[in-house]
Amino acid sequence: MKYWTQRLTMVLALMLAVSMLTFASMNVLGDPLFNILGPISGDRKTPENLVKIEAAEKQYYLDKPLPERYVRWLGDFVTGDMGVRFAATGQPPVTELVKERLPRSLWLVFMAQVLALAIAVPWGVWSASRSNSLANKASTVAAFGFVSVPNFALAVILYYIFALKLGLFPLRYDASASFLTRKTQLLLPALTLALPGAAVYQRLLRTDLITTLQEDFILTARAKGVPRRQILFRHALRPSLFSVVTIFGVNAGGMIGGALVVETFFGIPGAGTAIVEAILREDFPVVLALVMIIATGFVVLNFVVDILYSILDPRVRS
Amino acid sequence: MRSEGRTVDAPPEAPSEFVEEKTLGWGFWLAVGWIVTVVGAAALAPYLPLKDPQENFLIQGERPPYSPSLEHFFGTDQDARDMFSRTIYGARVSLVVGFSAIAFGLLVGGSLGMMAGFLKGWFDRVVSFLFLVLLSFPALVLAILITSLLSRGLQTISMTIGILSIAPVGRLARAATLVYAERDFVMAARTIGAKNTRILLRELLPNVVIPMGAIALLGVAIVIVVEGALAFLGLSVEKGSTWGKLILNGTGTRVLESAPWVAFAPICALFLTVMALNYAGDRLRDYFDVKELSL
Amino acid sequence: MTDAPLLNVSNYSVGFKTERGLARAVDGVSFTIGAGETLGIVGESGSGKSVLNRSIMGLIASSRQIETGSVLFDGSEMVNQDRQNFWGNRIGMIFQDPMTSLNPVMKVGKQVAEPLRQHLGMSKRQAIERTIELFTNVGIPSPAQRTKQYPHELSGGMRQRVMIAIALAAEPEFLIADEPTTALDVTVQKYILDLLNRLQAEHGMAMTLITHDLGIARGRTDQVLVMYGGRVMEHAPTEELFTHTRHPYTEALLASIPRLDHKKHARLTPIPGAPPNIVEPPPGCRFSPRCKYAQARCVQSSPTVDGAEHRYACFFPVGTDAGAEALASNRAAGETATGLKMSHFEVDA
Ligand SMILES: Nc1ncnc2c1ncn2[C@@H]1O[C@H](COP(=O)(O)OP(=O)(O)O)[C@@H](O)[C@H]1O
Ligand code: SF4
Ligand SMILES: [Mg+2]
Repeated sequence: MKYWTQRLTMVLALMLAVSMLTFASMNVLGDPLFNILGPISGDRKTPENLVKIEAAEKQYYLDKPLPERYVRWLGDFVTGDMGVRFAATGQPPVTELVKERLPRSLWLVFMAQVLALAIAVPWGVWSASRSNSLANKASTVAAFGFVSVPNFALAVILYYIFALKLGLFPLRYDASASFLTRKTQLLLPALTLALPGAAVYQRLLRTDLITTLQEDFILTARAKGVPRRQILFRHALRPSLFSVVTIFGVNAGGMIGGALVVETFFGIPGAGTAIVEAILREDFPVVLALVMIIATGFVVLNFVVDILYSILDPRVRS
Repeated sequence: MRSEGRTVDAPPEAPSEFVEEKTLGWGFWLAVGWIVTVVGAAALAPYLPLKDPQENFLIQGERPPYSPSLEHFFGTDQDARDMFSRTIYGARVSLVVGFSAIAFGLLVGGSLGMMAGFLKGWFDRVVSFLFLVLLSFPALVLAILITSLLSRGLQTISMTIGILSIAPVGRLARAATLVYAERDFVMAARTIGAKNTRILLRELLPNVVIPMGAIALLGVAIVIVVEGALAFLGLSVEKGSTWGKLILNGTGTRVLESAPWVAFAPICALFLTVMALNYAGDRLRDYFDVKELSL
Repeated sequence: MTDAPLLNVSNYSVGFKTERGLARAVDGVSFTIGAGETLGIVGESGSGKSVLNRSIMGLIASSRQIETGSVLFDGSEMVNQDRQNFWGNRIGMIFQDPMTSLNPVMKVGKQVAEPLRQHLGMSKRQAIERTIELFTNVGIPSPAQRTKQYPHELSGGMRQRVMIAIALAAEPEFLIADEPTTALDVTVQKYILDLLNRLQAEHGMAMTLITHDLGIARGRTDQVLVMYGGRVMEHAPTEELFTHTRHPYTEALLASIPRLDHKKHARLTPIPGAPPNIVEPPPGCRFSPRCKYAQARCVQSSPTVDGAEHRYACFFPVGTDAGAEALASNRAAGETATGLKMSHFEVDA
């Protein structure tokens, strides 16, 4: 219990620090008023501009000192109101924008993780169960290649092969297509994110499996006549997944970063493109909201990893 | 005697991997060779017999991009500029950013991490928390945040990516310091009353530098990739060309379809360089037995 | 016993190719076990007991392993054959350390059910019922609850009972128990050994009981094979071995049996020196560097395993005139032919 309270305090402190840092840097380094009103923001002499400026200052609490603005923003944020955009119209509200964009990115990252695991597990088991063959050396090189290829380069390569040359995937994402079509459209971008992840998982799984296969209980399983396949999948796999699970959280973070690039390249209107657009337009409320959501997601994921640990190893539970 | 059975039950051929004598291997030297070639070519580019990367080599009656030929090894882009020399020149910015960013990260992260691991106590807690905060941002989000708020000059980009490497490098330095601070030779130095700075510089630094060196190579690879991603989002250096910008330039659907070499020449250069850095770093890490890697 | 023995091992050797040369882990071993009989295999750690038995079963999955000689199980040749069909089905095996021999992330009930379903084709429900019966039979209290527990929730003795249940699940004709009590508390050891003997009698099963403690073999086995450096040193019916010990190594092992009236595992007279290098074994008799009877002849040539009922490999056997003379001359010289100081053997416990 003490462990969980400690962890929770730590997480909350982290989230506060992240939000303060983002909030402060955007307000100090950027110029919110300019972002809202454009060039007239510096002109307090013209009465009609002054009126606009004061109205904007009121609406966005810009007349209040920074700490107060932060507290107000935080209060709103935790109650689900992410504020108004800095765009001229302020429409749609940030919350609406997030609701529209975020699910696509979540789907993308989710599909990428599933794909990565679906590729890595059979690949890892295969390469651990016959460790020295020529095919295995080739697989090592391939894994190394996938780890080294940057996702924007991989995006270009996969797009060139599967979309342009083979025509298996549409060239652009179509947000108005049916649910299933939209998911198939996400396949190629998801694969782009998944392949490097799969290679990392495969390496880890292979190393751990080789160690596990030398454990005494594997000998027991063989001696009692369990067939080879079952030994690999039922006995050896589960205790060999710890490193994969550990890196799972970290990798999800990497995939979120990758999603910015991949969404932009494939033209998917997700949270990644939203954040890139918002940063370019200095639409800070959007950036702030998305950064906070991503950071929270990251933290939540690490909790999930902790839970996964205890599922994998009953010894952790007691 | 629990381990006695291990040797007996090793899976087929597994032992041969473990008994192999520790060498860096020819792959390592191949990788180093490639890195040296790329760095050399980039550094000496203006003195090499290369085509001007900005010149338009238009051929009358034919529309660029031109495909690879003896005249243009990697072909030309839409503006008939030579891709071979553009790729080599592109390496200049990518590598400068790569090496200077990781140098920055090593300097700041390395010294913070070492001090945290050595002094422990509240300083360690504060620094460790700072690292955690930095790690809570997805790296790329942090990078575009900083670059969009500041200018997009070479220094800013390098420093931004340098800041990103502080936390991972710092955590490694801290871990390594914690390990070595417990070792006999440091204890001995302490008992004879050596000053903290002396212990840090004379006893710990040389030992922490080795794992950090291996990490630095991996770090440079990561930095080059991050720079490429920034460029891809249109957020890298405004002036001069980088591999990322070159790739972006070749990825319009029409160019990609009709002249894939425009994108693939810099992709290959980037890929091989990143792979070489990764491989060399990996081998070094194995060679010096560096366990923790949180990059 | 007029019919052929259940297990007939003759001139069986196992080597491993290593960088330094061939490691002869088992070297020319022969013995037979009849149905329902028990063989004790005794020797220090590293003498090749585990390799011998795992190799007979074909459990060593290494391409560096080389097997020669002959092993007939129920009349069929096993050497260099795929023996998977025998695993768990006709031959069961129990290992030394119940802590590491059970899958830590699988409920023990399922681990017992696996061979039941595999070999006896039972349904899930049948397997669970049978598992509970087996647990009752090996003396696990509240068996139904235990099946749902993980290994780490059980004590060492309980885990070894689970291991026994697993090995016996498919009712094999032959059981190999590789140091089944070495990792257990002294108090539990006797219980497990008695249990094994009882189950063996009930099922009419043959058994090989491997141990480094010669005392365990007494009263629980029909014959004993003493191994050293991969070779057979002495092989005799159990009582004969204890009453008419011939081999100096067996004698040394006997002198080092821990007794209950001494401190736990305190050895009376430890054998000086270490087990031989099996890649480059010492010349002549492999035990000569540690033997207090050793003479010049022992270094020049190797003794062969001779005899009918009672076989041993020694030029100067214990309890014979040759042995007594050898010992006397070594005592007089103060050291053996291999330069071992006799004072090593004269220390009191
Ligand atoms: N795969 C292997 N390769 C090389 N040597 C081995 C291998 N397996 C076992 N050995 C060697 O064989 C010898 C006998 O080991 P083992 O049968 O485990 O002894 P015991 O069970 O009697 O304690 C040891 O010296 C061990 O090092
Ligand atoms: S007396 Fe000689 S042959 Fe007999 S065990 Fe000793 S060394 Fe070996
Ligand atoms: Mg053994």
